Amino acid sequence: MKSDPPLLQLVNVTRVYHSDAGPVPALGPLSLDLHPGEFVAIMGPSGSGKSTLLALAGALDQPTAGQVILAGQNLAGATPTALAELRRRVIGYIFQDLNLLPGLTAAENVALPLELDETPAASARQAATQALTEVGLAHLAQRFPDDLSGGEQQRVAIARAFVGHRRLLLADEPTGALDSVTGENVMRLLHSQTRAGRTALLVTHNAAHAAWADRVIYLRDGLVADEVVAPQPPATTP
Amino acid sequence: MSVRNSLLALLATRSAHGYALKSAFEHCTAGAWPLNVGQVYTTLARLARDGLVRSTQPQDHDTDRHPWEITPAGRDALADWYRRPIDPRPPRDELAIKVLLALALESGAVDQVLQTQRTATMQRLQEYTLTKRDTDPHRQLAVLLLLDAQILKAQAELDWLDLCAARIREHRAGSAS
Repeated sequence: MKSDPPLLQLVNVTRVYHSDAGPVPALGPLSLDLHPGEFVAIMGPSGSGKSTLLALAGALDQPTAGQVILAGQNLAGATPTALAELRRRVIGYIFQDLNLLPGLTAAENVALPLELDETPAASARQAATQALTEVGLAHLAQRFPDDLSGGEQQRVAIARAFVGHRRLLLADEPTGALDSVTGENVMRLLHSQTRAGRTALLVTHNAAHAAWADRVIYLRDGLVADEVVAPQPPATTP
Repeated sequence: MSVRNSLLALLATRSAHGYALKSAFEHCTAGAWPLNVGQVYTTLARLARDGLVRSTQPQDHDTDRHPWEITPAGRDALADWYRRPIDPRPPRDELAIKVLLALALESGAVDQVLQTQRTATMQRLQEYTLTKRDTDPHRQLAVLLLLDAQILKAQAELDWLDLCAARIREHRAGSAS
């Protein structure tokens, strides 16, 4: 919620790539705060800086100037080990290409990031079951990816993204390959994850999906061209 | 036209008074288009003139004392309505006109027109989505289908605005070089 300190802060970041033809500005200067429990969507034409923004937020890239502060830690000063740890423990990535391992069951796929992080197998399995329950797939935990529908596979990928205590979900066009109803269910799921306290940053071309977020940020030429805040639901009377 | 055909559709299931038709129409369409009962009476009178419905007591001219029923010609007209796709000619589109005029007459203004509309349409989309979030797909199917229609229209409008922006940009880049 807004009163909590931001989980992710981009402070005046710019990212310039270097090519033979000279420097190519990709993003910024841009500032963005993401508070715990917030769901923010990024839209914009190709080349507007969406993917660069997501890479900076996910500690997969470093800004040319400015600061990225994730879970209170300034990434500029972080050692590679510390960065890797943040990527493993704080951030979950969801892509259109799910990268589920076909030889592992849904539960094993979800448990994998924890096991790679040396969580004891029993606790990893327990956390995976919990995550699959949250996405409504507990009954399919022992199925292999090939025996699941596209929507179910995407839910497994989402469960894998937030398994354990990871708080920041970064999603890049996660519904690209799904039909309308299934895609909408993925948005419903991301939305409910943020109401449960996780934070989500979604990159999408689909305006109807972006409209599930609390804020829609529209990028053009690496800059924020527009920001539209969703209306709040009427307060429920106790 | 749609009120006319809707009344025929309702009367095809059973005879009814004007007020009951108003209520039934609003129930089927999830209250999205409230009907004025006066409009129902006027439409019934026109349908009667065309021989598509009749009062069950043709001697009595009090419009709502007796139920109305559909005639065989009315059933034919209704079947024809269900069978035909709706008229594809779009009504005059104010947004398209505004964008085209801004582009033709004062090209600097078109960027602002596109941006302002984009923000407003996104807000509309967010409002529909907020309502959709709390719509039960089993108990409120009609509401959900209406929201889907509104959401897809808003989404198409946003896609079109983005396409306009991209094409205008490309056009300007082409003219500049």
